[in-house]
Amino acid sequence: MSSGAATIRRAAVTDPTHRTESASQSRIRTVGAGKRYGDFQVFRDVDLEVGAREVVALVGPSGCGKTTLLRCIDGLLPISDGEILIEGARVTEPRAGVAMVFQHFGLFPWKTVFDNVAYGLRLAGAAKADIAEKVPHFINMVGLKGFEKVYPYQMSGGMQQRCGLARALAVEPKVLLMDEPFAAVDAQTREILQLELLSIWEMRPTTMLFVTHSIEEAVLMGDRVVVLKGRPSTVHEVIEVDLPHPRTRETLTLPRFAELREIVWNTLKDEARQAEFELEKGR
Amino acid sequence: MSATTIVAPARPFAWLPTSNWTIKLIGGLVLATLWQVLVGAFLPAYVAKPLGIIAAIPTVVTNPLFLSAAWATLSAVVRGLAVAIVLGTFVGLALGRVKLVERAFGFYVSGLYAMPMVAVLPLVTLWFGYTGAARMATIIFAAFFSIAINVADGAKSVPPEHLEVARSYRAGWREIWFGVTLPAAMPYLLAGIRLAAGRALIAAIVAEFFISIEGLGFFILFNSRTFHHNEAFVAVLLLALFGVGVEAAMTWATRRFLPWYRREAKTD
Ligand SMILES: Nc1ncnc2c1ncn2[C@@H]1O[C@H](COP(=O)(O)OP(=O)(O)OP(=O)(O)O)[C@@H](O)[C@H]1O
Ligand SMILES: [Mg+2]
Repeated sequence: MSSGAATIRRAAVTDPTHRTESASQSRIRTVGAGKRYGDFQVFRDVDLEVGAREVVALVGPSGCGKTTLLRCIDGLLPISDGEILIEGARVTEPRAGVAMVFQHFGLFPWKTVFDNVAYGLRLAGAAKADIAEKVPHFINMVGLKGFEKVYPYQMSGGMQQRCGLARALAVEPKVLLMDEPFAAVDAQTREILQLELLSIWEMRPTTMLFVTHSIEEAVLMGDRVVVLKGRPSTVHEVIEVDLPHPRTRETLTLPRFAELREIVWNTLKDEARQAEFELEKGR
Repeated sequence: MSATTIVAPARPFAWLPTSNWTIKLIGGLVLATLWQVLVGAFLPAYVAKPLGIIAAIPTVVTNPLFLSAAWATLSAVVRGLAVAIVLGTFVGLALGRVKLVERAFGFYVSGLYAMPMVAVLPLVTLWFGYTGAARMATIIFAAFFSIAINVADGAKSVPPEHLEVARSYRAGWREIWFGVTLPAAMPYLLAGIRLAAGRALIAAIVAEFFISIEGLGFFILFNSRTFHHNEAFVAVLLLALFGVGVEAAMTWATRRFLPWYRREAKTD
């Protein structure tokens, strides 16, 4: 099993506006959250807080329950233990003001880009005029102008992911849950999308919980990096990312960026070894 | 030009025109000629032959009896199909989306689908008499199950990602059924309609044979018995034409309304 108490490593926080806000102010709060599928415990005792204008990157080995946790926070799945609060209210079903960007894009193949982006607004009962104004705005924002009438099958993976992002942004959510949003695109598109998302976020900062397998992405996007590990998994480390805002391509060249990347890499490397070791033991 | 000119290997029948339609036409002509010659050589004169049928077309299609018979059959088929499509879609969605409905009725729907509707025809006449209503009931019975079963299959195979997205945006059951499940099952529905149209046509003709009410089936029966085989065959041609028309309409509808469908299937 996993080692004892979690080691919490905290680097100095230089930018006070991005410091973790007090519990009452946190948009997302999980208290002792646990999820079981029958006898199989996916995660347990997850205590997590994400402030109103904070981006938290969630990393962890494959299968540790990141997607499951995000689904629980979105209200798609009930948790088994503890509780999940959004703005202090218990999550029991999907809520307005919380939007999820899915790893599988989740675009409807029979809808055009416009109708896919409009989906959340329509379901929320937005007025026609409102939709006509907002949808093109968000389509422009993600760089899909001119593709309004195109169907998902006519687009590349990167364009599909932009469309999924626009759909989530269009409802102007207070909480944005992102499940490996850029995992399915090539490295260059990925970097472009990361930087675009950062600039969108700077324009309108919201609460963001961002799952990724990429350490660079976690450090670039996150104000904190939360490492989920163990079996069942739980929050093992929280690494403060004291990089200045706004984050841009320059950020990638800072010596501090490289340091933080090493720190996160080391925690995950241990986990990878641990997993290998447990596999050996299990034989 | 370069020295390495590629010479196409000699193909047998290379002199034939390559256009699809021309080849189809030639094939048809070959079959028609065979038919004309063989029937003319071995069978009595009243048996239908291509030239006789062509000669009969002008008189038959201007015959008011034929026209009202054609209207009676084809309008019944279209109306019956419409009813079957609406009912079959609802029942199919319920079967595909509600576990309890599937568990309670799925077995019977599959069973009735497999049963030939000709078998229930005598029973139908007991309930509806020897009327157009009996024909209509037979058509609906024949068409309904292929639609319900196909839509149910489609509804069951909606990708869970689509449902997850809908739920995430707080979709109610109506949106889940008609906004997500039905569009996702649309290719299945169209396939069901294709099948159902064929079955509905058979049902109408058989019902008319059996009940002897006005219609193309009865027109064919009557003309065959009175040795007007060429005239009967014109009605058969019209039925074939209707079948081909439905087929073409479905292909067109798939292209026009489901542009995403073929592409999706290809990338799998
Ligand atoms: N419906 C389910 N029933 C049973 N077990 C499930 C179910 N969904 C997920 N699991 C299990 O829960 C665990 C966590 O899955 P999850 O998809 O959350 O992992 P993840 O951290 O997102 O992985 P990845 O990084 O590969 O996306 C896995 O071991 C998976 O097999
Ligand atoms: Mg996942």
